[in-house]
Amino acid sequence: MRQRNSLIIAGLTMLIIAIGLSVSTASASAPTSPATVQKPSQPQIGDNAACLSCHQNPSFSVKLGAQQTEVFQLFVDPEEYSHSVHGEQGLACIECHVGFEPGMGHGKTFGSRREATLRLNETCGQCHKKQSDQEKDSVHAAARSVGKLEAAICTDCHSSHNIQRVTDPNTGLVLQTTRIWIPTTCQKCHSEIYEKYRNSVHGAALTDGNNPDVPTCIDCHGVHIIENPTTSTFRLSSPQLCAKCHTDSNRMKKYGISTEVMNTYVADFHGTTVTIFEQTSPSEATNKPVCYDCHGIHDISFVNDPQKGIQVKENLLKKCQKCHPDANTNFPTAWLSHYIPSPEKYPIVYYINLFYKFLIPGVLVPMGILVVMDLGRMIINRFTKQKDEHDEHKKTAKPNPTDEEANYD
Amino acid sequence: MTEKKMTNRNQIKQEKTYLRFDIGQRWEHMLLFLSATTLLLTGLPQKYRELSWSQYLLSTPERVEMIRQIHHIAAIILTIEAVYHLVRAIYLLSRRKLSAELFPTGQDIKDAGQMIQYLLFMRKDKPKFGRYNFEQKVTYWFVFFGFSLMIISGFIIWFPVAFTQFFPGGIIPAAKLMHSTEAMVAAVFILIWHFYHVHFERLNLSIFTGRLSEKEMREFHARELERLERKPSDNNQTGEKK
Repeated sequence: MRQRNSLIIAGLTMLIIAIGLSVSTASASAPTSPATVQKPSQPQIGDNAACLSCHQNPSFSVKLGAQQTEVFQLFVDPEEYSHSVHGEQGLACIECHVGFEPGMGHGKTFGSRREATLRLNETCGQCHKKQSDQEKDSVHAAARSVGKLEAAICTDCHSSHNIQRVTDPNTGLVLQTTRIWIPTTCQKCHSEIYEKYRNSVHGAALTDGNNPDVPTCIDCHGVHIIENPTTSTFRLSSPQLCAKCHTDSNRMKKYGISTEVMNTYVADFHGTTVTIFEQTSPSEATNKPVCYDCHGIHDISFVNDPQKGIQVKENLLKKCQKCHPDANTNFPTAWLSHYIPSPEKYPIVYYINLFYKFLIPGVLVPMGILVVMDLGRMIINRFTKQKDEHDEHKKTAKPNPTDEEANYD
Repeated sequence: MTEKKMTNRNQIKQEKTYLRFDIGQRWEHMLLFLSATTLLLTGLPQKYRELSWSQYLLSTPERVEMIRQIHHIAAIILTIEAVYHLVRAIYLLSRRKLSAELFPTGQDIKDAGQMIQYLLFMRKDKPKFGRYNFEQKVTYWFVFFGFSLMIISGFIIWFPVAFTQFFPGGIIPAAKLMHSTEAMVAAVFILIWHFYHVHFERLNLSIFTGRLSEKEMREFHARELERLERKPSDNNQTGEKK
């Protein structure tokens, strides 16, 4: 441990020296040749300065591929690295670039730039094992395993030499300064979805207002262990994602949004079925709507938006008609729109409920009392009758013939 | 005693019985009993979806579909029976071929008052009931209106798109609430009120055998018995006026 620390300190000192030198030499004669840097500090093999002696050359590159057509930039901006989270902590180049051998190509051969990136990313797991393991179960890893090598890996999102801090080291929560960059990171590949999100109620609030309450991509899709969102399992569990924020009264009261949205959804036909299936058979396909079937997936808008808002009956009807093609304009009000019935909203439902609140005890209680009284009188009758018969028996001391016997015998 | 005499004597000893329900009425009750029981058993797990036993029954979409189909088939049988019952009753009543004794009258209120007095030991004897006592009339009309509500609301939630062609959408959640609440009221009513009177108060099997004994008639339908005894020719008749 102590050895490692001293190594880091040594590395850091070397780095600062190297940067200082490179800046001073760069101003004198750029690009610097490796020889000019090596001379004054005499860096050892494995020092960052030694690496930079070649790799800080902006034109340093190799050609890869069978036809030598792919240009692989080997330039590392030392300034940029020093401001990255790893640079700030003084990590040495060779801590990530393992298996280093001196000489051209460092004993490594790659068919393509992507191959080099993929192989290098394996070393992230040395320190970030949890995240690396989670990523192995993600939809991106699954895509790579079937040959879609362009699917994102660590450095595609985090960058390589310019890695910035994502979470607050004290709270473990994603920093607001980082949150704002998350959608644009995903946008690099998922540009169409980004456009929808950017204009959605959540995306606009984040991008335009730096709103800390709205979700970014990872709040729904997860981070590292990004699930395939097209499965039945994801679909069935998706209401829980929305409920995470939409049942949080602290967050919702700022915007005057009801936190009963989940309860009222579950109380309805559709929501009941979806939530039960989520518990009993989470992988079963269901055609019952989940939140996003009506509210939209990435293009969620304000419910009172005149063009898309589903508070507008015609807009909601379009959603209903996806499953109920013959529905007309009366149909959307069959859904209580997350309202709890009251004399103002859905009075019929409210008054039927009220009626039964009185009818049930009003009928069942008198009925129960009558039954208990009847039973009581019957038992008492039987008891007194037996007693009478007993007394009669004593008096007459001989059994009475029954009526039939008296008549026909 | 010869064997022939024995048989005769046994026949003679048989108690006099009175026809209470004709074969058609007995079949109607059977259909009603079977379909309503099926509806209750398949409806309960749908109403109480959050309970574990119901989740066990309805764990997959296929099972939900199946239990709904059973519920719908039983509902059709019940509806046909209800429509038949209603149409037949209206037809016979309009032609004065069916006595209107089932309709509630002032006498029923008097009978109920006297019955309560009897239960409170304020009277020595039960009131003399007619062909249908007030308790049986309450049962009939409670089931009549309860099942009507359930049939109507059931079809509304079965065919929501069709009904909202003519009615506002609000009737769908209203029907859903009414259907499941009324079902519970009816179920508890039948289990306590009806079962008590036909199983505990006395075992009354006349809805299956069709007949009541003279003893039962005397105890529970004394006024009806008096009426029948005044007109001996009406014995063994259904009570439908010729």
